Amino acid sequence: MRSAGGYVWADSPLHRAPAAAKLAGLVAAVALVVLASSPLELALAATGVAALVAVSCVGWHAALRALWGLRWFLLVVLCMNALFFSASDPLLSLGPVHLTLAGAAQGARVVVRTALVVVLGTLLTATTRPQQLTSGVRELLRPLARLGVPTEVAALAVGVTVQFVPTLLRESRQLMRAQALRCGGVRSGGIMRRAVSYVRLLVPVFVSAFRRADELSIAMEARGYRIGGRDARPERERRP
Amino acid sequence: MSPVKRVVVAAACAALGVVLPMAFHAVPGAGNAWLPMHLPVMVCGLVAGPVPGAVAGLLAPVLSSLLTGMPAAPILPSITCELVTYGLVSGLLSARVRTGRLPLDLYVSLVSAMLCGRVVGGALQALIFSAGSYSLAAWVAGYFLTGLPGIVLQLVVVVPVVVALERAALVPARYDSEP
Repeated sequence: MRSAGGYVWADSPLHRAPAAAKLAGLVAAVALVVLASSPLELALAATGVAALVAVSCVGWHAALRALWGLRWFLLVVLCMNALFFSASDPLLSLGPVHLTLAGAAQGARVVVRTALVVVLGTLLTATTRPQQLTSGVRELLRPLARLGVPTEVAALAVGVTVQFVPTLLRESRQLMRAQALRCGGVRSGGIMRRAVSYVRLLVPVFVSAFRRADELSIAMEARGYRIGGRDARPERERRP
Repeated sequence: MSPVKRVVVAAACAALGVVLPMAFHAVPGAGNAWLPMHLPVMVCGLVAGPVPGAVAGLLAPVLSSLLTGMPAAPILPSITCELVTYGLVSGLLSARVRTGRLPLDLYVSLVSAMLCGRVVGGALQALIFSAGSYSLAAWVAGYFLTGLPGIVLQLVVVVPVVVALERAALVPARYDSEP
């Protein structure tokens, strides 16, 4: 399991940039990364992301930590593409499996794209506090309010979701370790055995998440959040 | 359940939709087989209703894609539509199906949502996302065979989770006293 999310305290241009601009920038950057296909385009995209990491002052370890947890996934993607992408001009053939240069290149493209998107997402959450993110989503969605879209509620939902991710990730990791100590891991045995293991793990994960949701909603209501009226912000934010 | 709690529950389930795939993707190839993102969306629909379920189904894949790169951008629209359908249908049916037995209510809603989501996903693939190059065999292989472990997991996990949440008094009880 890998880490994701989590604000990193620092004073950098990225930390000071408006959350709405960072969100819009993230969407644009992800689109550019997805569209990049040639090695030169991908190298340029990687350079741009590396420059953002350097400017952000969050540190290479924090920015790249999420990739370590994805190492097996990325390796499988690379191998699957290298072995199954194409059957023409193989370097090595073994039954239906053909190792090709074109497949390896395609796998490398997918891996680089995924890695760049992961680092961009990590940078957003590392340089933007959840409250700022909520405000940013609210600003970006403001034009939709004229069409009757409940933008305050949408912004609240996005902000709370991003806030919950690192917390639930930490708790899930603790529960997995606890279960591994008590009755073995969830990654062994047949389908039914694994499913039973996941039930044992997932029920406490869900109960823990809903307990946090319950506590948060009580705290928010106590601070004056109301939905169904005109504003989902707390009272102190609504004061002129 | 208050409106604020509905939003927070939808957000918590969307966050679980980001977190659970991370755990499952530590096992190579497990994401496609175990379909971990489906679980919180279905649970959200069953306990909080159609709108929070649909919101969780919308937020989970979009935020997961932006934060972790999974699902990849080209398949994001079809997965999002499928998950929104799961949340919406499970919530709609959960609010209306009343057999007097909590597990039966939940299983009727869950299985119907699982079927509707897959039908909608397949229809959208055939009509929009892979128009002209999509077949019934591809639909069966993609939505039923590859994801068979995930289907088993959903049938085994979702109802016990909802029952556990009710017993922990974290969501309103469906019946005053369980028959």
